[in-house]
Amino acid sequence: MTDYLRKPIKEIHELLKKKEIQPIDLVKECFERIEKNAELNAFITLNKEQAIEEAIALEQKEVDNLFFGIPIAIKDNIVTKDLRTTCASKMLENFVPIYDAEVVKNLKEKHMIIIGKTNMDEFAMGSTSRTSYFGAPINPWNRKKIAGGSSGGSASAVASRMIPLALGSDTGGSIRQPSSYTGIVGMKPTYGRVSRYGLVAFASSLDQIGPMTRNVEENAGLLNIIASYDEKDLTSAKKEPEDFTRLIGKSIQGMKIAVPNYFMSDIVSREIQEKIEEMIERLKNNGASISYIDIKHLEQAVTLYQIIGMGEASSNLARFDGIRYGYSEKNCTSVEELYKKSRAVGFGEEVKRRIMVGSYLLSGKNAKIYYDKALKIRKEMQKSFQEALAHYDFIIGPTTTTTAYNLDEEMNDVSKNFMDDVLVIPVNMAGLPALSLPVGFSKEHLPIGLHIIGNAFEEAKIYQLASFLEKELNLDLEGGASHE
Amino acid sequence: MNDYQTTVGIEIHCELKTNAKMFSPAKNGYTKEANTNINEIDFAYPGVLPTINEEAVRLALKAAILLNCKINQTMYFDRKNYFYPDLPKGYQITQARTPIGVDGFLEIKLNEGTKKVRIHDIHIEEDTAKSIHHNNKTLLDFNRCGVPLIEIVTEADMHTSEEAKAYVRTLKELFFYEDISDCKIEEGSMRCDVNVSVSKTNALGTRTETKNVGSISSVGEVVEREAIRQIKKIESGNRIEEETRRYDEAKKETVLMRKKETGNDYRYFPDGDFPPLVLTEELIKEVTSSITLLPEERRKILENAGISEVNIEKIIANKTLCDYLLSLNTNLKIASNLLLGEIASYLNTHNKKLEETKLTKERLEYIVKKLETKEITNQVFKDILISLFESEKEIEEILKEAKKDTIDDDETLRSMIIKIIEDNEQSVEDYKNGKDRAVKFLMGQIMKSSKGKASPTLANALLIEELEHKK
Amino acid sequence: MEKLTQEEVLHVADLARIEVEAEKLEKYSVELKQLLNDIDKIKDVEVAEDEILVTPTHHFASMREKDKIRNEDFEMIRKNLPLSVGKFVSVPVVIKND
Repeated sequence: MTDYLRKPIKEIHELLKKKEIQPIDLVKECFERIEKNAELNAFITLNKEQAIEEAIALEQKEVDNLFFGIPIAIKDNIVTKDLRTTCASKMLENFVPIYDAEVVKNLKEKHMIIIGKTNMDEFAMGSTSRTSYFGAPINPWNRKKIAGGSSGGSASAVASRMIPLALGSDTGGSIRQPSSYTGIVGMKPTYGRVSRYGLVAFASSLDQIGPMTRNVEENAGLLNIIASYDEKDLTSAKKEPEDFTRLIGKSIQGMKIAVPNYFMSDIVSREIQEKIEEMIERLKNNGASISYIDIKHLEQAVTLYQIIGMGEASSNLARFDGIRYGYSEKNCTSVEELYKKSRAVGFGEEVKRRIMVGSYLLSGKNAKIYYDKALKIRKEMQKSFQEALAHYDFIIGPTTTTTAYNLDEEMNDVSKNFMDDVLVIPVNMAGLPALSLPVGFSKEHLPIGLHIIGNAFEEAKIYQLASFLEKELNLDLEGGASHE
Repeated sequence: MNDYQTTVGIEIHCELKTNAKMFSPAKNGYTKEANTNINEIDFAYPGVLPTINEEAVRLALKAAILLNCKINQTMYFDRKNYFYPDLPKGYQITQARTPIGVDGFLEIKLNEGTKKVRIHDIHIEEDTAKSIHHNNKTLLDFNRCGVPLIEIVTEADMHTSEEAKAYVRTLKELFFYEDISDCKIEEGSMRCDVNVSVSKTNALGTRTETKNVGSISSVGEVVEREAIRQIKKIESGNRIEEETRRYDEAKKETVLMRKKETGNDYRYFPDGDFPPLVLTEELIKEVTSSITLLPEERRKILENAGISEVNIEKIIANKTLCDYLLSLNTNLKIASNLLLGEIASYLNTHNKKLEETKLTKERLEYIVKKLETKEITNQVFKDILISLFESEKEIEEILKEAKKDTIDDDETLRSMIIKIIEDNEQSVEDYKNGKDRAVKFLMGQIMKSSKGKASPTLANALLIEELEHKK
Repeated sequence: MEKLTQEEVLHVADLARIEVEAEKLEKYSVELKQLLNDIDKIKDVEVAEDEILVTPTHHFASMREKDKIRNEDFEMIRKNLPLSVGKFVSVPVVIKND
């Protein structure tokens, strides 16, 4: 097997430019790596024939940008024209989209090659990817462990170096938490930075697509490609194009950093607290100032997420009714039966629970008691974040409360998986950008992530801080890859 | 039975006359073939998102302004959740919290004066797909799915069938004239739901809703039938239940469709796919200034021009005609007579449109002027009618040719007039007694005996002269 | 209360149009209640804010221009349809006209 894909993209790019290698070499190596790591169950669908065809066609084209001919994996809730998109659900087991998501268009414009669709929690609902209809993806650092979720397949694929880059989606931490569990860099951009057109909606006001990569620079580079204004998405922000890598390498001297007390409270394992404290010391030693602050309602984040997330989900998933696409139960005698049976069979347990609870929360008087109140708390929380970020450049803390846990752990606790995301959910509530950076390992040698939250549309600054630490730490993050 | 008061509220859905659909860029327009004006958004494909049709917002805003509403300048959209095969998303996008217009009114004309019907609100939403039940199958056509709708909800302000009809008629006329909607009740581009209750006291009774009433006259019938049905039911010791009914036009009675289920739970909540939509002062000004002459203002102008009420209604009923007439710079009464009379019948028999003939606006204005100054007679006009529509010749030449036959020499006319005066002694007596009618009558006789060829100006002068002689 | 009544479970399942088999009622009674108990904590939260946050965007909605029209070919849609008749989507069951 060749070993091109282990190189930094910049080097691969030079090789492509000098015609020392062709995109097809990368594609072939990529599929070999995927095959070798099949047991990680990171992919639901591979795009083999099409990818090879595209790679060959690219040989006639000029290598015109850094990501030209680079293979990428896409979370299976982002629609790809003519390539099955399942959302890891029986409901969409045979669904073939008729259009490309806006982000997919962006990737294709840069001649990136889509290798396949990655495993995830069904409809992105979960924090372990165990709710996938296709079985859970596995953490390459320890094959007894979860890869996290919901973008667990993308995390597993990048961590094991099957592929250098992947897209994930983050509704309540679904990029950052699996990135933290698998030792990769995951960014949830500012809400509105990346078009949601073609992202199968889970909770519309929280969902955002983002890059999951081996390192900070490539993360910023991929964000350069997927961030664009899209008139098909009303929540898409009209921003001047910018280079998200532009602050990488710049000093962090004088930067003001806040740590919410709640993020370092005893909900976080001692081991992780210590690692984060170590980072805090490092930052201080390099000229940054650290303050401990309070942000309103952080303790309620999970509850807010449950109300808003499940409420929106119950409505967003109403379209799966067995009439226009997706699983359709045969031989029903009434529409009601068609609906109820198609949805009972097509959806898995977690999804059904969330739709039911969401429907309940919005029904009758509950809409006021729960939903309206949640939206007010959400506003207050957002304001509190805004006030803090008016004074500080960043808010930091751990990404997760523990490291990746066992695949068979706490399978039956319906509340547990929400708590996995307690530290990452507030960012979705406020619509802010945030990144998880691998900063070390536990005693079990499982990755630990630092959570860096920035002000709206200040992703470039987040990359500046992250790349500084990345360089300082110079960790060996290839432990997830199985080498020859 | 007379001690019951009937109370009526009306909800009207209007399809807006736009190029594209409300939240999808698929075309909005009539098409014979099913599922042609569609795209992935109308089919609620996974991953699609809504956008807002500016043209529809402008039309809705115009409607809100016309209905004297307060405008919600910052609007949100909400989801109304329910399952039905014609509703692909499983929810309808609507405006529950911030309708575009609230607290307005529409003034309606009644026999005994005018009345303001208060408008509770007007909001923007989207239409559903069309279900066709055929051969034991239900087929869906999504051409209509997502077409922009506005819903106008009145307060329970009306009490008679006359008021209900006048409200619907006035609203329809207004929206039609302002190009907001086709307002075709029969074809469903305007749909009326009529809420009726009866009560002996000041407290409102329980209401029923009769959906999708098919014509304005049926709206009146529903009010009457429903009131009678409800009163009978109460008088026989029963209670009215909240329910949805429909109107059977053949049997002239309302029929139960379904009881209002208590579980009818639409789970409204704000739609996160929409940032707030702000209607700027500038936009409001622009839309306000796009409002043209309202039907009532047109009626005033036509009335002042001396046109009969019957003809005014005929003109108002035909917007193209009305626009044309009001664009003329001439005597509107004469012009309207020509347009409703000879011109209309020519166009009818030849199955043509006015603009397909040679009768230009200038030609028509010229002819009306000549008729007004009595330089030509109605007979001359009738003689040259065909030429006016079909001849390439200059209008002056056409007239000259026609006038060749005009009797305009003194001698011939005078002898004709003397004879007519001799034959009509009574009229001469009337004239002496100062009755104007006599001149009109005698002029008629002159025209009759000259087969319309007598020059009206000259004949009139000579007739007065001769009559004065008799005094 | 430790669990929802069976009626309550059936009611939310009905709202959500999800069939719940009799033998699963018990499981849902417990699970849904557990989630709702978590969620109930919101009742005790004090909030001064009166404004709601619908979407965390920082801009106002734009509007689509009048002339932007985009239709899709029905044949594309047909590929995923469980059932179609001619150019119609056919609902897999008979619905009575009301």
